[in-house]
Amino acid sequence: MNRRRMMAVARAEWIHIRRDPRSLVVILILPVFMLLLYGYGINYDLDRIPFAVWNLDGTQVSRDLIDEFRQNRYFDLRESVLEQRRIEELLDERKVVFVLVVPPDLGGTVGAGRPAEVQFVLDGSDTTRASVALGYIEGVLNDFSGQLQAQWANRQGTQVAAPFTVYPTILYNPDLRSRPFIVPGLIAVLLTLLAGLLTSTCIVREREWGSFETLIASPAAAGEIVLGKLIPYIVIAFANVVLSIVVGWVVFGVVPLGSMALLLTASMVYMAASLGIGLFFSAVSRSQQMAILFAVLLTFLPTILLSGFVFPLRSMPTIIAAIAQIIPATHFLVIIRSLYLKGAGLEILWPQLLVLAGFAVVIVVVAAGRFRKRL
Amino acid sequence: MALAVEVSNLVKRFGDFTAVDGISFSVSKGEVFGFLGPNGAGKSTTIRMLCGLLLPTSGEARIAEHDIYRETELIRRSIGYMPQFFSLYPDLTVRENIEFYAGMYEVPRARARERVEELSGRLGLEGLLDRMTRTLSTGWRQRAALATALVHQPPLAFLDEPTSGVDPVTRRQFWEFIDDLAREGTTVFVTTHVMDEAEHCTRLVIMHDGAIIAEGTPEEMRTRYVQNMVEVQAAPLWEALEALQASPLVREAALFGDALHVQLREEVVDPAEAVRQALGEAGVAVEAAECIPPTMEDVFVALARGGEEAVREASP
Ligand SMILES: Nc1ncnc2c1ncn2[C@@H]1O[C@H](COP(=O)(O)OP(=O)(O)OP(=O)(O)O)[C@@H](O)[C@H]1O
Ligand SMILES: [Mg+2]
Repeated sequence: MNRRRMMAVARAEWIHIRRDPRSLVVILILPVFMLLLYGYGINYDLDRIPFAVWNLDGTQVSRDLIDEFRQNRYFDLRESVLEQRRIEELLDERKVVFVLVVPPDLGGTVGAGRPAEVQFVLDGSDTTRASVALGYIEGVLNDFSGQLQAQWANRQGTQVAAPFTVYPTILYNPDLRSRPFIVPGLIAVLLTLLAGLLTSTCIVREREWGSFETLIASPAAAGEIVLGKLIPYIVIAFANVVLSIVVGWVVFGVVPLGSMALLLTASMVYMAASLGIGLFFSAVSRSQQMAILFAVLLTFLPTILLSGFVFPLRSMPTIIAAIAQIIPATHFLVIIRSLYLKGAGLEILWPQLLVLAGFAVVIVVVAAGRFRKRL
Repeated sequence: MALAVEVSNLVKRFGDFTAVDGISFSVSKGEVFGFLGPNGAGKSTTIRMLCGLLLPTSGEARIAEHDIYRETELIRRSIGYMPQFFSLYPDLTVRENIEFYAGMYEVPRARARERVEELSGRLGLEGLLDRMTRTLSTGWRQRAALATALVHQPPLAFLDEPTSGVDPVTRRQFWEFIDDLAREGTTVFVTTHVMDEAEHCTRLVIMHDGAIIAEGTPEEMRTRYVQNMVEVQAAPLWEALEALQASPLVREAALFGDALHVQLREEVVDPAEAVRQALGEAGVAVEAAECIPPTMEDVFVALARGGEEAVREASP
């Protein structure tokens, strides 16, 4: 590995980036723009979930239950339904997310100390919304049944009879706000896209220019060329990582709970792996379009779909979840989310970090190996 | 004298198509070796194999005493290569391009700066060092490419059509530069279409359809392959050309500027007189007809038209 040659490649690439207005836009504007766009656009928070009630009971208990929802800041009672047909109408027209159906004689059942059931008709067409809403509903119901049990026990003159209600305690993001969850994921996806765009054209471009022929006629080794090309992008990637973290903080108020040094380190290792993947596609492609297509189809899409950014890994079929393990973003998402939400440290995140570092090394070696010094 | 290039039975096939068909030749150190031939002859393909950019289908070659299969990296260190087509970085300046290749060939930085000054002085690039190569015209691009190929003072330089797209004045300067290089000890391996340029070569081969059809010094080429050349001025020229092409004594007749160059068969003893006679019989007025030494162009026309057949016939 010759330093002089590697730095000559790095310098030429750096000059190219500096003089290409397109790449400057990609580097400086795209990440901020995307973070703002999606940070505001994707919001799973359900404030004031609209709902309706069909009360078939009419006792105090049912009114208390409904009040419990009305007073909760996450819910917004829109209508009291008088007939079943109206329920479907409301859900169809998406006027409400769910309808609470109170069965006849709820008061009697509860008064007798027997287990009672209430029904929730939920719009499941938007699964994310539905599951978030369901989570809130469970919370309210748990509270309410706790109160009822206490009252009932009081009336019987005993202590609380059945205190084993499940109270899910939500750690790390107690308000279930989605931003602290989304912003780190968004940063990860964004960095992936950026890395692909940056390096996927940088070798194949030379083929199109014709400079490839003199480049490979020179004594430079494939490794020197590939690493030399990587150096300027590593620097740019660092700037982008910092920029993304700053935007997440200033605009969305999302700050990592964990170590900033670890966040930067992990991000840079991840960027090295992603840039390496771009370089690999650049080394094997015959045209810039092909390289960009590869980068988008084979890195960006899997990152969005499989890494756990949109769909939780837990809910994936086993095979898909296994495939997800070979995507660097999957591991990086674990790291970045843990750092933002839990403040986890190296003692917990080292396996993921190690996997990412392994990815980075392997992909650069493979890219250099695929870089043929022949026409 | 030691050999800079030694090629034997080199073959390159692209699928079914044979671009280079078993050629053998050698180049001594210090030569300006010309590689001539029409489009598609296989010149660039040969050079690319010799520079280690294309893997030959079969055959052997040694460059600067290194084997082209096993010692490609050693070869790359000892050569400079200027490809046929524009291959500089378009968004780097001339200086940055030269310095980039100085880096690739491990020329120390201070020395690299000296070389930039030296080469730009000799090639007349001084005013253009800070221009983006994208904005240069063909002739200047060629000069810049020549400078980058030579920045590390390689003992052996492969120049693939350095003068293509270059005006006649610049072309002469290029050849003076190449002559200087050779005098300073660089072996130059150069391709061209322009036959007159072959005069600058110490030795040359002519390729056609992947095979070498002629080889020798420019002088040998002229005497061996083309004899009995007559330059004819007549009016109307066109009729004269037709009449001569129809004559059994004439091997070749071609337009050459505002005259005709006519090559007569070897058995003709007084070629000028034979031409006068033929044109007289055809009723064309002859203004002048005199024997001339053939130019490289004549050699090329004779060889290219007749192909291998002409060579076999004309060879002693
Ligand atoms: N990569 C390739 N694949 C297929 N055919 C090729 C390839 N490279 C060259 N050829 C063919 O090989 C033949 C020789 O090409 P080459 O470029 O060596 O000719 P040349 O003598 O340099 O011609 P020119 O004077 O036009 O530069 C041509 O017919 C060309 O089409
Ligand atoms: Mg050629």
